Amino acid sequence: MRRRVVVTGLGVVSAIGTHVYQFWESLISGKDGTKEITVFDASPYSNKRAAEISGLDLGSHFSKRELRRLSRCDQFGLIAFREAWKDGRLDRDPVEKERVGVLLGAGSGGILSMERYFRDLYSGRKRASPSLLVSYSLATTTDLIAIEAGLKGPRNTTATVCSSSSVSIGVAYEMIQMGLAEVMVTGGSDSLCEVSFSGFNSLKLIDPESCKPFDKRRKGLILGEGAGILILEELGHALRRGAPIRAELLGYGICADAYHLTAPEPNGEGVERVIRSALAHAGLSPEEVDTINAHGTATPFNDISETRGIKRVFGERAKEIPISGIKSMIGHCLGSAGGIEAVATVLTIEKGVIPPTIHYEVPDPLCDLNYVPNQSIKREVRIALSNSFAFGGNNACLVFGKYISNGKRSFR
Amino acid sequence: MIGKEDERVLITGLGIVSSVGIGREEFWRNCLSGISGIKPIQRFETSPYRSQLGAELPEIDFKQWIRPSNLRRMDRIGKIMVSAVKLALEDSGMDLSREDPNRIGIAIGTGLGSSNTVDLFFRSLLKEGPTGAQPLLFQTAVPNAITSHCAIEFGIRGVNLTFSHKEVSSEMAIAFAYQQLKKGRVDIMFAGGGDELSEPLYHVYSRLGVLSPGRGEGEEGMRPFDRKRNGIVLGEGGGILVLERLDHAKQRGARIYGEICGVGGSGSTDGVLRYDLKGEAIARAMFLATNDLELVDYISAAANSTPELDRAESLAIQNVFGERIKGISISSLKSMIGEFDGAGGLRACALALTLFHQIIPPTVGTVDLDPLCGLNVILEKPQKREIRSALLNGCSNGGSNLSLWFKSWSQSEVL
Repeated sequence: MRRRVVVTGLGVVSAIGTHVYQFWESLISGKDGTKEITVFDASPYSNKRAAEISGLDLGSHFSKRELRRLSRCDQFGLIAFREAWKDGRLDRDPVEKERVGVLLGAGSGGILSMERYFRDLYSGRKRASPSLLVSYSLATTTDLIAIEAGLKGPRNTTATVCSSSSVSIGVAYEMIQMGLAEVMVTGGSDSLCEVSFSGFNSLKLIDPESCKPFDKRRKGLILGEGAGILILEELGHALRRGAPIRAELLGYGICADAYHLTAPEPNGEGVERVIRSALAHAGLSPEEVDTINAHGTATPFNDISETRGIKRVFGERAKEIPISGIKSMIGHCLGSAGGIEAVATVLTIEKGVIPPTIHYEVPDPLCDLNYVPNQSIKREVRIALSNSFAFGGNNACLVFGKYISNGKRSFR
Repeated sequence: MIGKEDERVLITGLGIVSSVGIGREEFWRNCLSGISGIKPIQRFETSPYRSQLGAELPEIDFKQWIRPSNLRRMDRIGKIMVSAVKLALEDSGMDLSREDPNRIGIAIGTGLGSSNTVDLFFRSLLKEGPTGAQPLLFQTAVPNAITSHCAIEFGIRGVNLTFSHKEVSSEMAIAFAYQQLKKGRVDIMFAGGGDELSEPLYHVYSRLGVLSPGRGEGEEGMRPFDRKRNGIVLGEGGGILVLERLDHAKQRGARIYGEICGVGGSGSTDGVLRYDLKGEAIARAMFLATNDLELVDYISAAANSTPELDRAESLAIQNVFGERIKGISISSLKSMIGEFDGAGGLRACALALTLFHQIIPPTVGTVDLDPLCGLNVILEKPQKREIRSALLNGCSNGGSNLSLWFKSWSQSEVL
């Protein structure tokens, strides 16, 4: 018997909002978080823009010592975690800490701190401070969250970068299935850093002005940063403590293109397989899907292969399904992209509003679906998918649904 | 009709690229003879560091396993992991062309994957600015590149995961693979992990003060449970298990090394660079992994020659097994292969061989057992004994603990 897993808490830090309510308002009003980069010196680059987080008073969240030792990624992760923990009322309800685990996805992790360390070391200008190395491992944010809240359940970190935190949500779901935990803190955190920026820049995958998913003028992605944290909980556990149930995680799919190290499989075959695998796992048919939160990076190839994959699954009905590309607003947050987008997907179900794809002006004949251009739409959403794809064709798809107490979903 | 029996998860192939030996036979022979891979490091200059030791791989001709056209796209850790998968596949005797690629998955655990590539990329960027950023380096710098290389090389199109959680990365990959097979989402999983020893990684560990200050030859550097243990020696290598569901293994008449029967996980919260100080979380992980503690005859310990972890793991084992402790054999492979985040793959391979041959390799380097640890640690010579089932412990600094329960196949009921 499969245990049902529900979402009982959300936390988010992003370029368009550092609280869930603020993030949601920005998302449905189509706010763009893109700005000039300040977190590292971007002056030597011709592209200088990213969805960087600004206006967040880190000093109000952390002590001086913490600010010195925690990487930017750790800081975002902790802030989003604190919000999710509170949101799920886990700060007030007595829970058995041995039954609460943490499973996050990571991308660049502490690389920003490591860059500072190795820049000092290799230039020989300054003594490189070992406190910058505390976050050398991709596991650090995960461990810090558990340590802060005294969580003694199982703990791990996924490292598939662009799909990491979607994958982590799938693995967290399995931890609950295995009976290893009743509650899982999941999602991910990531920060901008020069290594990622220069890498995507060298692959010519960065758009100089804005991220324009599915638009014919799209030139590539805009990098972003932030954290998206979800509290997953076994249904009975959530009901017993009267927790607020935001949505149900019905299933997930993870698969590989096995095609190329960076390029997606062009015909959308891998996208098709991962969506089908997720739906089969959730016990749903394609007819039941109301909306899709797309991976939508706005790279020329991703958007075509994702569109093709969606058409392969949904056939004629593909044109009717609203598809949001919210990276147009928050950027591509790499290790936290899937987490932040999962938060958005849960809110979409809860609020009955589908966020738009902004900067959408010129249709591309190869991307001919309904991408919710520029304006959010109000609509009841019972089932929503969230797609994430990564380098190497590491695909993931999550299926969220409105929580229905008897679990019976009527086939439309 | 698939019955409960068919949900059982079996180990049917081993792929080993280690400093102790390449391939199952050489590795096992050297394990039993107690030949450690730890030596003074050759690949880079170690004079700036307090320690000069590492468990490095020998020079390997990867062309014997990987086609030259594919070899060109891989960095060193990519080659190591693809070779480990190739060796595991050959060892399993499976013909992949007869399998549905969508029903084959892979899960790999690694620390930073290609730490050397990240460093090369960064140095070139520092030197030359934006134009110094090399796209070919960048695409292999991501930790999941190693898993992608394997998926592309062998056409593995099912579930594909990369875990990176310090010293429990590979243990988690195996635990996840086990769950996928049990739930029937795949028929075959390649699971394990690996890492490479690189200077930047060595530098980081050295600055964080966790390396054993050993300067000598052979086993001086690492001695789990020894009174004089003083830190870890970094190692490298890759270890991959082929895992299959019973129905699938039976159908093709596979050789069976052992069975995976349970997973237990827990966390401790003593600090971001601290192990589980009291051993309570480690005990919980072991307790959760098995439903019959009486069947446990051997534990492949996570003990890595740090004062902290070895003591905590000892306490945990004492607490879980109480009076039975004298009857349980303990050893740690880490003083032979060194410590690294993805070491669980090789440790799991060694445990599968231990169960298959019913013989336990010695804990090399340990001479003077710490009485505080109070365990029946196998020293000097391998121990031949009945092993009905065993635990593989994984414990990371920062406080994640996983324990995997392995059963000997000959001891399972006959089908």
